[in-house]
Amino acid sequence: MYAWKCWRESRASFIFFLIMSTAVALLITLAPGLKEQNGWWHFDRSEYDPSPTTQMVTYQILSSLGAMGFLSALFFGATASGSEIEPGTIEYLWTRPRTRASVTWIHWGVCVAEMLVVAVVPIYLAAALLGSLTRYWQMPLLLITPWIIFIVGVPMLGLTTLMTALRRSGKGGLLYTAGVVTVYVIVRQIVTVPLHLNLPTLFAGPLFWLMNNKPFVPLSAFPWGSLWRAVFLAAALPLAAQYLLKRAEV
Amino acid sequence: MSEAAILTEGLGKSFGTQAAVSNLNLQIQPGAVYGFLGRNGAGKTTTMRMLLGLVRPSKGSMRVLGLDPAREAELMRILERVAFVPQRKQLYGWATPAELVRMNKAYFPRWSDEAAAGLAQRLEIPMKTAFKKLSIGNQSKVALLLALAQGAEVLILDEPTAGLDPVMVDEILRTLIEDHVSQGRTIFVSSHHLGEVEQICDWVGILEEGRLLLEARLEEIRQEFRLVIVSGENLPDAPSADVVSAMTDGRFRRYVLAREAERFAAELRSQGAAILEISPIGLRELFLHLVRKEAPCTPGNAGAKAAPVSSFS
Repeated sequence: MYAWKCWRESRASFIFFLIMSTAVALLITLAPGLKEQNGWWHFDRSEYDPSPTTQMVTYQILSSLGAMGFLSALFFGATASGSEIEPGTIEYLWTRPRTRASVTWIHWGVCVAEMLVVAVVPIYLAAALLGSLTRYWQMPLLLITPWIIFIVGVPMLGLTTLMTALRRSGKGGLLYTAGVVTVYVIVRQIVTVPLHLNLPTLFAGPLFWLMNNKPFVPLSAFPWGSLWRAVFLAAALPLAAQYLLKRAEV
Repeated sequence: MSEAAILTEGLGKSFGTQAAVSNLNLQIQPGAVYGFLGRNGAGKTTTMRMLLGLVRPSKGSMRVLGLDPAREAELMRILERVAFVPQRKQLYGWATPAELVRMNKAYFPRWSDEAAAGLAQRLEIPMKTAFKKLSIGNQSKVALLLALAQGAEVLILDEPTAGLDPVMVDEILRTLIEDHVSQGRTIFVSSHHLGEVEQICDWVGILEEGRLLLEARLEEIRQEFRLVIVSGENLPDAPSADVVSAMTDGRFRRYVLAREAERFAAELRSQGAAILEISPIGLRELFLHLVRKEAPCTPGNAGAKAAPVSSFS
């Protein structure tokens, strides 16, 4: 039943992200065929050159939806059980016969499922539409894109879950996670350009790898280390949140 | 004697240097209805939260239904068998009472749909309105419904009737007596409404600044406890172990005795004091005598004794 409660609380964000991502992905897919003639817009399927169009659409989808894993993780993670401390519903939750660990992981599981749907469904719909329009189904980058967005998003879910437990509030968790990530990105940018230092991308390496593999650019080596870090953090961060909540008094 | 439903031994909780509960000894037998009284900040809520694993004790030990709330596995078994109504009756604002009932029943194997439906009707709860849109009184009723339909062996109620109108208070008390007290369930209730406590409780414990000042059967308070008002010179502060409280009121001295008031009065009379009144004392008066700051109170923790035998040291 707690899973239902998690779903019920994140449902609005889930529907919003799903609709937005689907709309963006489909619009990008249909955009090459849209032509203006005498003030009227119409759709011209003959504009779809199989390989170049597929690569262009792939890159545009990636650029537009790359941050979706991060954003959905922020909003889903902010509904973690730590967020119930501030409004006071935690007394109800923690006096049900369920361990605090199980509550943390049930929430994590529900959010992971939602993030997966938000990442996979819009892009695979776009891929199916693109394939049928171009009659060209060679689109490996587009097909792995949602999985990379998902994998990079899950540690963010863990970070938001942890921040929510630390701040004892959903809003606090969301803002602090956004703050931590923004500060890291800014510092990384400042340090990289003038000082020529190359700070690690932590767990976002696969996403950078995808974005750098633009059309007609040879594929570089896949950042497996970053991927494993993402998997590790995806498990370690909620574990830290679970420990904090287990020790918490209300 | 069967195992206590709630047992605490030397239980204490401090927040920094502030002691919220000190050396608390409680022994509440199964089937008892125990009124836990005290002023705001006396430590009632902290005690209840410790029993439910929401707060960790700093000292001492506790058992609920023979299980230790400090151990997670045992706490889960406790929570299956204990219902709790918190002071702050906050539930999910987006959920309707009907949804909360559906959500809640999945947690408890002994949940009674029949009891839930009956309570919803008796307490006139709008079951299809979102919780956040309900009045404070209706929100309290929903919290009570969820606890009372749980089929729990022990009910821990922290000011359960706060925010309710007198008709609903009466309905709740009637429900507690008819559906729970009569079935031998243990009720541990804190309240500032002493009239309600007198109506349903058979035991009371009075807490002040985290210390249990008095624990007694209500019946015993009615039958044995006496207020003795005395006038005279050089009256002793604590002339007898039976004195529960002694305070100066102008030219008079007011003693509350747990027993043998006549013998006590005779002793004072023999010392030259004038006995102005010996009268039974109500719970309200007893409570005020014990917790008023200017009055000397019993210092100790009466614990699980059958009568308040605390004495001045």
